[in-house]
Amino acid sequence: MKILEPKHFPFGSKIHGTKLSKNCPIEKAPAPARVYISVSQHIGAPAIPVVNVGDKVKKGTLIAEASGAISANVFSSVSGTVAEIRDIVNGLNQKQKYIIIDNDFKNEEEFLPPLGDFEPNTIIERIRLAGLVGLGGAGFPTAVKLTPKNPLDTLVINGAECEPYLTCDHRLMVERTDDIYKGIKYAARALNVKKIVVGIERNKPNAIEALSAFDDLEVVSLKRQYPMGSEKHLIYVTTGRKVPTGKMPFDVNCCVLNIKTVLAAYYAIEKDRPLTETVLTVSGRGIKEPKNLQVAIGTPFSELIAYCGGTSDDTVQIVAGGPMMGKALVNLDQYVRKTDSGILCLKAHETYAESPSNCINCGLCARKCPMRLMPMYIESFALSGDFKEAERYGAMNCIECGLCAYNCPAKRALVQSIVYAKTKIKEMKNGK
Amino acid sequence: MENKLIYSSSPHIKAQRTTRRIMIDVCIALLPATIMGIIYFGLYALLLVALSVAFAVIGEYLYLLIAGKTFKEITDRFDFSSVVTGLLIGLTIGTNYPFYTPIFGSLFAVVAVKMLFGGTGKNVVNPAIAGRVFIFISFQWAVGAWLFPAIGSVFGQTAETSATAVVNVSQGIIPKLSVLDMLLGTGMQGCIGETCKLALLAGGIYLAIRRVINIMYPFIYIALAGITTVLIFGFDFALFLPSILSGGLILGAIFMATDYTTTPNTTLGNTVYFVFLGVLTAVLRYATNMETVSFAILLMNLTVPLIDKFILNKPFGYKKPQKAKEAK
Repeated sequence: MKILEPKHFPFGSKIHGTKLSKNCPIEKAPAPARVYISVSQHIGAPAIPVVNVGDKVKKGTLIAEASGAISANVFSSVSGTVAEIRDIVNGLNQKQKYIIIDNDFKNEEEFLPPLGDFEPNTIIERIRLAGLVGLGGAGFPTAVKLTPKNPLDTLVINGAECEPYLTCDHRLMVERTDDIYKGIKYAARALNVKKIVVGIERNKPNAIEALSAFDDLEVVSLKRQYPMGSEKHLIYVTTGRKVPTGKMPFDVNCCVLNIKTVLAAYYAIEKDRPLTETVLTVSGRGIKEPKNLQVAIGTPFSELIAYCGGTSDDTVQIVAGGPMMGKALVNLDQYVRKTDSGILCLKAHETYAESPSNCINCGLCARKCPMRLMPMYIESFALSGDFKEAERYGAMNCIECGLCAYNCPAKRALVQSIVYAKTKIKEMKNGK
Repeated sequence: MENKLIYSSSPHIKAQRTTRRIMIDVCIALLPATIMGIIYFGLYALLLVALSVAFAVIGEYLYLLIAGKTFKEITDRFDFSSVVTGLLIGLTIGTNYPFYTPIFGSLFAVVAVKMLFGGTGKNVVNPAIAGRVFIFISFQWAVGAWLFPAIGSVFGQTAETSATAVVNVSQGIIPKLSVLDMLLGTGMQGCIGETCKLALLAGGIYLAIRRVINIMYPFIYIALAGITTVLIFGFDFALFLPSILSGGLILGAIFMATDYTTTPNTTLGNTVYFVFLGVLTAVLRYATNMETVSFAILLMNLTVPLIDKFILNKPFGYKKPQKAKEAK
């Protein structure tokens, strides 16, 4: 039993919101008749389709191949026939290429070739082949993360799940503890590190208990303090190391992997299964029965919502992801991606959508900002178009956690302005 | 259902705290002091407070109506900050002031100091302080000294008639009034809301519990003002409590100096601000004895942009760029 206390971090804050589905076991959602699989479900270049319309595919057949170093393979999540390959403007208002597959419900499965040994290089090559990306939401190809420029000494496993409503990581830690443990060991082996730290928020005592049963894991019971799931903050509270601004975790000899990512690594390595399924939470007060679902990638959101009993009439917002960092949908033409961890149907009283008023300079955003930025200044520079000054005030360090806008008494859209400033600063730099 | 989905940027949940809620909290915190003021000074005090609040609100409505907003829009977005301003102006005048003074004071504070600069959050100095100073400068001819409350001294000796406690303190004389009397404001000259310190402290504790203000900042201000007074008069510690319990120090420290808009945005900046404020108040009291708290806050309000310019938070993980040592 190794349960450690986290290092004190004086910023960030508690946020309201409940975990409605924390006691709902993971259910397998029925396979959809048609799946819509996007070729860009990760950070980096979109994958290139390698199937044609009319091709027969099985569950686990490679349908789009990574194009370049930072990219990831995409696999079919059902067995059936490729019906269409076309661009769709999805519910997030993004135009992406989708491969649409009709399910024949034969459930034929294609596996990756079995591994001969479990050497680090073999493991990393398998993770690359299986199309693994950071399943916490960022979607950064995992194989790239496992081949850092400098040797690492610590593997940090992110089980914080600090967003309200989301419970899929929690349920996985409780229900598939052994598989997760094996996945963690493979990742540690690939990175050649001895020290493994697992950070889990205190509101998941059964998950902490489950993972602390393993002697070679150090479980840190994190305070309920959003955003503990952020890489830089998780590293700080578990190891005491500060990632310098503008640097990555490997600069302080750490690698952070999400619970779902290590679980997917386990399936890829031991069960020879590529990434075709994910576990997500369907929740919010607007949904009839909140559930944790194991779903095929490419399942339409509307089918999952219908499976959970549909929404009540006064649902005003549907969000892909968590309530703090997720994206609101403009319509329901959205399909499950690798990185999705939740579908939230929110009622009006949950969202507190009030129109913004003048900044009253209360300084709450600066006090709460986990990156110690001063959002009120960055916002005003962004709105007045002075992006140089916004950069000088550290706009690029923003992790977009949403705490500033969450706490703002004037309800200003601080994150939106900062993200706008970041985009403009990037454009400015690329233009030079 | 699909066509009524609200599209918004993240985060999709928000804290319940709003500007309006904060301002209502401040009004609630000022209630004990208002009630005690009316008990001490009678119904005329109520009239003065009511007039100042009414005209602060009327000022805001008139300005926005002229600016082209409809009555409904203004009411929907009304954030109660002008109520706070009006209440503070009403509480910082005495009952010997003519009834028209709070009207001018409130209108000046809300229209000239707040609305002309862009409304709530855009003002450079605290409107209530500016209103109070405006009344002090413009209408001093109409009034004499502060009045005593109707209730006489409960604990101490007979009240002095010549000078207020704060004048005594500023000359290094320990007032003859007992500390408990000063805390309750009985037998002590003063304006409507400033007299009963206990009620003000209760309001301050309410604000601290509601997390509207950080209680450390008024504490720094009050303590430093007291300590500086003690130091000025050569370590006369008997002056400490009288100096902090006299005049408008507690009202100013809890309700006026802590105004969000006119304080710095960082913890360090705020500490610097309140330390300077405390020292400045005590020194000003030594030099003159007129409206020192108001002028000290007014003066420090003007330094806030400077403090905010130079005291900034360092981003998490920020390291000072290493200067090349080999350059020499």
